[in-house]
Amino acid sequence: MAAFLADVERRAFKHAKFAVRDEDAALDIVQDSMMKLAEKYADKPAAELPMLFHRILQNTIHDHFRRTKVRSTWTTLLSAFGGKGKEDDDEYDPLDTIAAESSWNATKDPAVQLQQSQVMKLIENALEKLPARQREAFLLRYWEELDVAETAAVMGCSEGSVKTHCSRAVHALSESLRVKGITL
Amino acid sequence: MNTQNDQELAKKITALLDISNSELRQGTAYKLQLARQAALEKMARRGPSPISVSSGVLAGAGGTGTFGTPAPKRRLLTDFRVWLAILVVAGGAYSYDYWRVLERAREIAEIDAQLLGSDLPFDAFLDNGFENWLKRTGQ
Repeated sequence: MAAFLADVERRAFKHAKFAVRDEDAALDIVQDSMMKLAEKYADKPAAELPMLFHRILQNTIHDHFRRTKVRSTWTTLLSAFGGKGKEDDDEYDPLDTIAAESSWNATKDPAVQLQQSQVMKLIENALEKLPARQREAFLLRYWEELDVAETAAVMGCSEGSVKTHCSRAVHALSESLRVKGITL
Repeated sequence: MNTQNDQELAKKITALLDISNSELRQGTAYKLQLARQAALEKMARRGPSPISVSSGVLAGAGGTGTFGTPAPKRRLLTDFRVWLAILVVAGGAYSYDYWRVLERAREIAEIDAQLLGSDLPFDAFLDNGFENWLKRTGQ
C-alpha cells in the first residue's frame, strides 16, 4: 500500500488538478482518496489497488463538484450580507514558491528546457480544456496504463465508450499542438 | 490518424506529463507526502482490531463500516431518508384529501347543473308519487 500510494500520489494530484483547476482542492481530493483507500481496501491485493484508487479518486472529484455547486448556491444567497473576501484569509505558504530541483532540470540545456516546459504547459492547458470524460479516459488509459476493461470499470461506462473517449482526446490534443505548430 | 499513431502520440504526451510531475513544487510534494503518511497511519491504527469509522469521513464513498466490523448503528431520526419518507407519506395524504374535496365539489356542481338544466320543477324530484309514476310508466 505504501509503495502504491508513493507511486501514484503525484499523478493523482495532477488528475485532480486538471479536473478542478485548484491546487488546494486537488490536494484535499488526493488526501481524501488516500484515506478512503487505506481505510476500506487495505486488505486488497496490490493488483487491484490502482483500479480501486482511481475509482475512489473520480468519485471524490465528483463529490467536490457537487459540494462546490451547493456551496456556491448558498454563497450567492448569503453574499448580500457582506463579509470579507476569501483572499484576505489566505495564508502564504513559503514552500509553495520553491521549485523542486530535479535531475532533468540540472542536466538539460536551458534552451531545450525552456522549450520543453512551454510544451508541457501547453499540454496541461489542453488537458484541462478537454471534456471531463475524455480527459479521464486518456489519463487512465495512457498515463495510468490501465487496460480498456479496467478503465471502463473505473469510469462506469462501456469499453467502446472508453475507446471513443481516448481517440477523441488524442485527436483534440494533437490538434491543440498542431495549431501551435508543435510536433512531438 | 490510426490507433498506432494515437498510441505513439499518447506515449509522448504522458512522457512529458511524467517530466512535469517530477518538477512538482516542493511544497505540494511535501503536502502529498504528509497526506500519504496520514493515510498509512490511519491504516496502521486499524490493525487487527479495527476502530470504528465515523460516517462523515467516508461521505460519498457509498459505504459504512470497515472489513470485519458490523456497520455502525444509524440513528433513525437523524437519517434524512426517514424524514424524506415521512414527508412523502404526509404529502401523499394531503394531496389525496385535497383531491377528494375537489371531486366532491365537482359532483355537487354537476348535480346542480343537471337540476337547473331540467324542464321539471325541483319538487318533482322530491315527490315520491312522481318517482312511483315514473317507474310505472317506464314498465
